[in-house]
Amino acid sequence: MEHIYDMVIIGGGPGGYTAALYAARSGLEVVVLEKLSAGGQMALTTQVDNYPGFDEGIDGFTLGEKMQAQAERFGAKTEYAEVFRTDFQRKIKEIETSQGVFYGRTVVIASGAGPRKLGIAGEKELTGRGVNYCAACDGMFYKGKTVAVVGGGNSAAEDALLLARICEKVVVIHRRETLRAEKVYHDPLIRMKNVEFCWNSTVKEFLHREKLTGLRLENGKTGEETDLPVEGVFISVGRTPVTELFKGQLEMDAGGYLIADETTRTSQPGVFAAGDVRTKQVRQIVTAAADGAVAVHYAEEYLAGKRACSNASVFRV
Amino acid sequence: MSAVNLTNTDFQEKVLQEERSALVDFWAPWCTHCRRISSAYDKIAEQYGDRLLVGKINIDEEPQLADRLQIEVIPTLMLFKNGKPVDSVVAPESKAQIEAFIQRNA
Repeated sequence: MEHIYDMVIIGGGPGGYTAALYAARSGLEVVVLEKLSAGGQMALTTQVDNYPGFDEGIDGFTLGEKMQAQAERFGAKTEYAEVFRTDFQRKIKEIETSQGVFYGRTVVIASGAGPRKLGIAGEKELTGRGVNYCAACDGMFYKGKTVAVVGGGNSAAEDALLLARICEKVVVIHRRETLRAEKVYHDPLIRMKNVEFCWNSTVKEFLHREKLTGLRLENGKTGEETDLPVEGVFISVGRTPVTELFKGQLEMDAGGYLIADETTRTSQPGVFAAGDVRTKQVRQIVTAAADGAVAVHYAEEYLAGKRACSNASVFRV
Repeated sequence: MSAVNLTNTDFQEKVLQEERSALVDFWAPWCTHCRRISSAYDKIAEQYGDRLLVGKINIDEEPQLADRLQIEVIPTLMLFKNGKPVDSVVAPESKAQIEAFIQRNA
């Protein structure tokens, strides 16, 4: 018989490792499947100032490693495995990965979310070399320089406003004629003297050598192409959850987030969703961590229920 | 066993003049994605260490070497056979992707 874990956790961010910590401390046998490194999205943030307990702030990568080490201190395991396929229908859930198949009585999905990409050639390679997704994280690198913001929603407007206070000039590139952002974000942005707008425009190409040097823009109305020299671009076109693998198996909302309430229970008994991947209002490190703890509570309840049932059937026999 | 830190001199001796294949990670301390691959890369060194040399080069310390090999973006993993670069992968997103890269060139 293959080895069966009490809990298999998909994703090693704050939701995943907090679940691992609570599960391991409860005596459950638990494994975290992480494709690259602990921390998830926060591993790309150099300074985390809103996670309590670190008065000077902490680097996101280090915080991820600490969460991993803390869970492992109590016996949680980590496998650097990429998940290819899952089957949650039966009592013992199967997760097929690059490191073999893992079996679990319960599963916590903490695969997180990521910034939606533009999907243009060179985007990945230029990330961190001119292409950015987080103004609050990386804005300071562009002090006194010219940057662009792509997007027209609240977070794009917020990013543009933040950057306008740091940078020489900010160009907002939006595919429509007006911002989708609410008035409270919109008005202060319009008033900034160093903010310009490129309406009806999309990014067609990244101009670069070793680093980004500019953007080739296409006007959606006229089809005209123009080159905009910038040293950095901040892409703010929404986020997207990592749930492709679970389509058809678990209920999701229109945005692809796994439907689960504050109990973290998904549509499939024994499968829980923790952190950014779940339908929720506030997506923060601290709320992801909270989900991890809650998921373990309900997983234990589920396991206890299961055990009671199987004992009962034993008595009947 | 974790990935071996290589200097320019090591690189000449251990990579260019050896028949054994070598995998080299070009990285720098300020590169966030480089940090993200480091623990998975150490695992690769553990798993594949008997078949190939798994090393890394800090491009801030060895800028000429990075220039000569035309490393423009980091992290870049480059595979050498008989002292010659045969293939490279930029910013892999999972340990599985690094393994697929090695197997593709096996």
